Amino acid sequence: MMNVRILCATTALLLAGHAPVASAQDAAPAPQPTAPGIRWQKEVPVIASGEWTGARLPDGQPDVGGFWSNTISNHSNFTDPQAGPPGEPSAAAKLPRDQRAPSRVSDPADGQIPYLPAARALQEDFARNFPNPVKPRYIEPLARCAPAGVPKSFMWHGYEVRQYPGHFVFLFDSGTRIIKLDGSPHLAPGIKLWNGDSRGHWEGNTLVVDTRNNNGKSLFGRYGDFMSENATVAERFVFDADGKRFNYIATFTDPTVYSRPWTATIPARRYTVADKPDGWHFDVKPVNAPGKPLQYEHYERICAENNGPFGGGAVGVPSDEAVIDR
Amino acid sequence: MIRKTAILLAASTALLMPALAEAAPAKSAVASAPAAPAIPRQADGKPDFSGIWQVLGEADYDLEPHAGRRDAPPGPGVVEGGVIPYTAEAHERRKANFAARAKDDPRLKCWVLGVPRGVYYPAPFQIFQRAQDLTLVHQFGNQVRTIRTDGSDHPQEKHQEFWLGDSRGHWEGETLVVDVADFNEETWLDRAGNFHGPDLHVVERWTFLDANTINYRATLDEPGVYSKPWTIEVLLHRRRDKGFQLIEDYCYALEYDRFYPHKDGQ
Repeated sequence: MMNVRILCATTALLLAGHAPVASAQDAAPAPQPTAPGIRWQKEVPVIASGEWTGARLPDGQPDVGGFWSNTISNHSNFTDPQAGPPGEPSAAAKLPRDQRAPSRVSDPADGQIPYLPAARALQEDFARNFPNPVKPRYIEPLARCAPAGVPKSFMWHGYEVRQYPGHFVFLFDSGTRIIKLDGSPHLAPGIKLWNGDSRGHWEGNTLVVDTRNNNGKSLFGRYGDFMSENATVAERFVFDADGKRFNYIATFTDPTVYSRPWTATIPARRYTVADKPDGWHFDVKPVNAPGKPLQYEHYERICAENNGPFGGGAVGVPSDEAVIDR
Repeated sequence: MIRKTAILLAASTALLMPALAEAAPAKSAVASAPAAPAIPRQADGKPDFSGIWQVLGEADYDLEPHAGRRDAPPGPGVVEGGVIPYTAEAHERRKANFAARAKDDPRLKCWVLGVPRGVYYPAPFQIFQRAQDLTLVHQFGNQVRTIRTDGSDHPQEKHQEFWLGDSRGHWEGETLVVDVADFNEETWLDRAGNFHGPDLHVVERWTFLDANTINYRATLDEPGVYSKPWTIEVLLHRRRDKGFQLIEDYCYALEYDRFYPHKDGQ
């Protein structure tokens, strides 16, 4: 039990402390020049789609396995990624807009999600109520350990890619995405899932994924941006030839929520033994293999079992009740 | 009608004339029976357990032999020797767990089932295998276990109290042997309240019986809870249903998913 409490506290620090932790890390001497905090890079590099010239796996896939994480910020704010969550503006929020990373909305050009009026009202209502959630609907689902889903999983902690013939697997802290590469049909449309149902294939340096069966429940972040269960997401993971970066470029189509399809771009970088573990982007431990070259591993990913209440705008909801009858 | 008669005649003739049957080349008889498919193997020749697997049996209801009851179908038990060798004190706790099973089984919260329970819980899990590791993605809840087969050992830092333990595997001939250690005591072993403590040590043995069946054995040891190590054995079957795939089942989210996106939950 003691361990559970300790883990709860750790979770609370990591979840609730997003802004303070980031500030502290920003202020402290950078442990490494590339990633001094949660939100650190202001630019989104351009990575062109094209041929893959890097290493390949025996089945022909570009070898992009390993640890990855976003480079500009967590999910606090989708369209102004480094400005902080509702009610808790970051220090950078005072700076001119062009001194922070751009909106993750790369199309349309204004950086805003083209909501229909009713959908915009729902998003704004969530953002207004997020700092003091008086109803369950205003609690961030990730704070309840819900899967971060599409696309929020790419804005949370670091994650791991493992590749297999016919499968591309993402291991996130809050769930797992298995992308089938075998050309099989999607699940029946009535099945709605936190991570959706994904089918993908490689086009040169780009993993192209068609994600359907979304339940729309995970939201995109703390401002309540969202899609509905009617959405389809066309995802492109464009990997740089040197294997150090990829851009996640996803086009969301949902006529019941948006006035037109729109596109998000989320940059990510790889973490290797050349990086220091930081407990966030690269939350790993050295593999215990004396006499062998350094390797890192991520231990088991647990959340619902350890979740507890905490403050800071992200309200955790401990759950210790039966939820299934099967 | 004519063809059928001919077949029957031919069969009868063969039966009646053993000498003739013997005369038929033995090779063709062997060739006509479909050969059992070879077990899948990795590039390095080790067995390849990649695929979707599921138990067929009653182990998760109760590892021990039991008659049918309101909340469990009957089962012959999967414990070698019949019963779990609890110490006297642990046996009392097991009885209390059994009495409270309708509300205390951690599965009801959709929490991590642990090792070995996740393996024989009646839901599919997918094994992804590389030379250096196996990744077990269980459909139920958020349970992902990595079994490293790269010669590495358990973490130097002990008492981390993992929900799934820490798994390190190696090959002994055709068998994957996995040493699993450093658990917490939050998980149960089945719906009947069978349990372990924080010092549980599990050794699993995974062996292909044929290309679509795995013989799974797990030996559990924990002094103070069990009077001696004990072993379970179940078979795991490859899910071969047309179009079958894992469908995420983050059932712990069922408690609150009605509030999203932007709903009052009615």
